[in-house]
Amino acid sequence: MRKGLFYGLLFTSPAILGFIIFTLGPMIASLVLSMTDYNVFKEQTAFVGIDNYSKLFSGEDELFYKSLGITFYFVILRVPAVIIISFVIALLLNLNVRGRAIFRTIIYLPSIVPAVASAMIWMWLLNPDLGLVNSMLKWLHLPTSNWFYSEGSVIPSVVLTTLWGIGGTVVIFLAGLSGIPKQYYEAIDVDGGGWYSKLRHITIPMVTPTIFFNTIMTIIGSFQVFNEAYILTQGGPNNQSLFYVFYLWRTGFRDTEMGYASAMAWVLFIIILFFTFIVFKTSKSWVHYEGGERT
Amino acid sequence: MSRQRKSISVLIALLMMLVAILSACAKSGSGQGSSNSSSPANTASSDSPSGKKSNEPITLRMTVWGAPEEVAAYKSAIARFEKKYPNITVNLQHIPTDYDTKLTAMVAGNDVPDIAQMESASIAYPLAEQGKFYNLQEFLSSDREINADRLVPNISYSLEPGNVIGLGPGPESFGLFYNEDIFKDAGLAPPPSKASEAWTWDKFVEVAKKLTIDTKGRNASDAGFDPKNIKQYGVNFPTWWGSYSNFIFSNGGDFVSEDGKTFALNQPAAVEALQKIADLINVYHVAPSPVQAKNIPATNVALQTKKVAMAIDGQWVSAGLAQSKFRYNVGVLPIMKKPMTTVVCGMFSMFKSTKHPKEAWELMKALMDPEASIDMLTAGTWMPAYKDWYTDPSMLSKWAENLDSRPSGYKDAIIDVLLNDSHQTPTGYVKNFSKIMDIVNPALDKVWLGQQTAQEAMNSIADKAKAQVQGRRDVKG
Repeated sequence: MRKGLFYGLLFTSPAILGFIIFTLGPMIASLVLSMTDYNVFKEQTAFVGIDNYSKLFSGEDELFYKSLGITFYFVILRVPAVIIISFVIALLLNLNVRGRAIFRTIIYLPSIVPAVASAMIWMWLLNPDLGLVNSMLKWLHLPTSNWFYSEGSVIPSVVLTTLWGIGGTVVIFLAGLSGIPKQYYEAIDVDGGGWYSKLRHITIPMVTPTIFFNTIMTIIGSFQVFNEAYILTQGGPNNQSLFYVFYLWRTGFRDTEMGYASAMAWVLFIIILFFTFIVFKTSKSWVHYEGGERT
Repeated sequence: MSRQRKSISVLIALLMMLVAILSACAKSGSGQGSSNSSSPANTASSDSPSGKKSNEPITLRMTVWGAPEEVAAYKSAIARFEKKYPNITVNLQHIPTDYDTKLTAMVAGNDVPDIAQMESASIAYPLAEQGKFYNLQEFLSSDREINADRLVPNISYSLEPGNVIGLGPGPESFGLFYNEDIFKDAGLAPPPSKASEAWTWDKFVEVAKKLTIDTKGRNASDAGFDPKNIKQYGVNFPTWWGSYSNFIFSNGGDFVSEDGKTFALNQPAAVEALQKIADLINVYHVAPSPVQAKNIPATNVALQTKKVAMAIDGQWVSAGLAQSKFRYNVGVLPIMKKPMTTVVCGMFSMFKSTKHPKEAWELMKALMDPEASIDMLTAGTWMPAYKDWYTDPSMLSKWAENLDSRPSGYKDAIIDVLLNDSHQTPTGYVKNFSKIMDIVNPALDKVWLGQQTAQEAMNSIADKAKAQVQGRRDVKG
C-alpha cells in the first residue's frame, strides 16, 4: 500500500511539481508582490502593505472601475448567451439525423482555429464598410452597425465573436446529453408526453450538472477576456473595451508596474472566487444529481 | 524481472523530470560567462585594434526587432564589425514580436544584453530613468570619427540635456506621397517638392476635394457629391500622433508648453491643427475616417490601386512603393504656418551592466555606419545617420539618386526638409508621454469620428492630462 502511494506520487509528480512551480509558486509570489511597489525597472522595491489595494478602490485610478464595469457587462451578456446557445446547439446535434458527425465537426471546428486567426476573420466580417455582415444587412434593408468601432456596439460585437468558439461547451453538453438513460424517454412515450415534456422533465433536470459545470467555466473564462481587446480593439474606442485583464496586462507589461498589476490580479481572483462560490451555493436548489443528494 | 523493469521505468521517469526542470530553468543566451576583466581591448577612437589585450575573446549580446531585411542589414554590419575585431563575437537576438515584454523580462531577470534596440515611445525612457543606460555623450565627445555634429538632426535621444541615452541608426521623416497618373488625368499640378513652394492648407484641401471621387464620378467639390459612396479619397491621413504631430508643429503648437509645465494640446495652435485634420474627414470628406481607413490598404497599394490620390506617411513607405511598379512621387507636406516634419526613429542604447562599453560603442558605430546598411538605404526603408551622406553629393548619389525608391521629389521634399525644418518626435522630449497619450487618444477618437470638436475634446481632458505632465527632457530642471 505504501509502495503504491510512493509510485502514485512519483508518477503524478510532473503534474504536482508543475502545479507547484508554475501555478502555486507564482501565485504566492504575486500575492507578496501585490503588497510592494515592485516596478521591474527600479532597483529598490519597498513593502507598501495594502497601498496598492487602497489605491485601486479609492477611485484614484478611474480606469480600474471603468474596466471592471466593462468586464461585468461582458460577463452578463456572454454567460447566458453561451449557455443557452450551446445547449440548444447540443440538443440539435443530439438528434438522430443524417450527417450528425459532420454537423458536430462543423460546430467544433472554430474552437481549434487560433485566436488570432479567428479575430482577423471577424475583423473582416464585421468591417463597417466592406464587411460581409453589413453588406448582408444592407441587402436586407436592415440597419447596419459600426460594430467594433463605436462605443455602444463594441462589447456586444466582442460577445458575438466569442460565441463562434463555443464548440468546447457544446461538446460537454453533448456528453451530458448522451449520459441520459433512454428508458426515461420511453417512460414519457408510454405516458403520452411530447417533446416538450421530455425536455422539461427529463433532459433539463438530467443535464443540470453539466449546465452547472459549463456556467462556472464560462464565468471564469469571461472574466478573463483578453485576446479580443489585445487583437481587435486595443481597448478602444474611447476605452469602451478596456477589459480588466487587458488593463492589467497593460499596467504590468507596458507600464511595468508589476506590484500594482499583481494587486489587480488578486482582486480579479477574489471576484471570480466570489461568483463561483455564489453559483455553487445556489446549485443545491437547481442541480439534480442522479445519485441522490450531494453531500 | 518485473522488479528490474520497474526500477528502470522509475529511473526513466526521474530522468525525464530532471530534463524538464533543467530545461525550464536554464538561462538562454550566452555572453554571461565570459571574462570579467573589463580592460578595454582598444581605445574608442582607434581605427584598428592595436591594444595589448586585443586578443582576449569577447562576446557582445544585442537585441533587435524588425523585418527580415532589416535583420539581414544588421547581420551584414555585424559581419564587417567581427572582421575588423576578430576577438569579438556578436550574439544577435532577433525578437520580432512582444519586444518590450521580452526585454522587460530580461531586465527583471538581470539578464540584459549589452546593446538593445529601443523605442522612445515605450520602455526606453522608463529604463533610462532608472539609470540602466550609459550616457553616450561620453563617447560622442571623445570619439574622433563621429560626434553630435556629424549626426543628422533629431536622431539622438536624451534623458536630460547632456545625457544621451540612445542614438538612432537613421532618421525617418514624413512626406506627401502621391500617384502621378491621378494628377495627370485630373489635369492638376502635383504637390510641389520644395518647401518654399509648399501648398498652404487651404490649397491642399482644395486639391484633395477635386481628387475625392464618388462611385458616380463626381468629386467632393461638385454639388451632388455622395460622401457615403467614395471610390477614391483625396488623401489618406493616418490619425496617430506621428502623423498629426507634423501639423501641430507646423502650426506652432506642441504637446506640452515650452517650459514643460502644462499640457498644450488644448491650446489654440494645436487645436486648430487637430480640427483642420478632423475636418478633412468629417467636413470635406476627402480623407477616410479611422473606421473607413481599415479598408485602406498599405500606402503603396492604396496609391497604386487609386484608393487614395495622396497619402501622408513616413518616408519608409518608399521601399514598398519602389516595388509596386507605378508612377509615384513625393511632395513636401502642406504647411499651416511653416514647413515641418517630425523625425521618428528607433534607437540603440547601451546597458550600463555591459562589461565591455568600449567594444559596445564600436559595435554601435558599426551599426550606424551607412556603408554597412547600404542595402536598406537603397531599398528605401532607412535613411543614413551621418550628415555628410546628405550634404556631400558623392555620398548622396549612393543612396538617393537613380533609384526606384527615391523619386524625383525626394531630395527637396524629404532630405531638405529633414535637414532644415525638422522637429524631434514628442516621445523624445515629453516626459511621461505614453501616460499622457492614454488620456489624449480616447478623446481624439471622438474628434476623428466627428462627435466632438477638437477644442471640446481637448478641454474635457485637459485637467486629467495636465496631471500627467511631468516636464520636458530638453529643458534643464
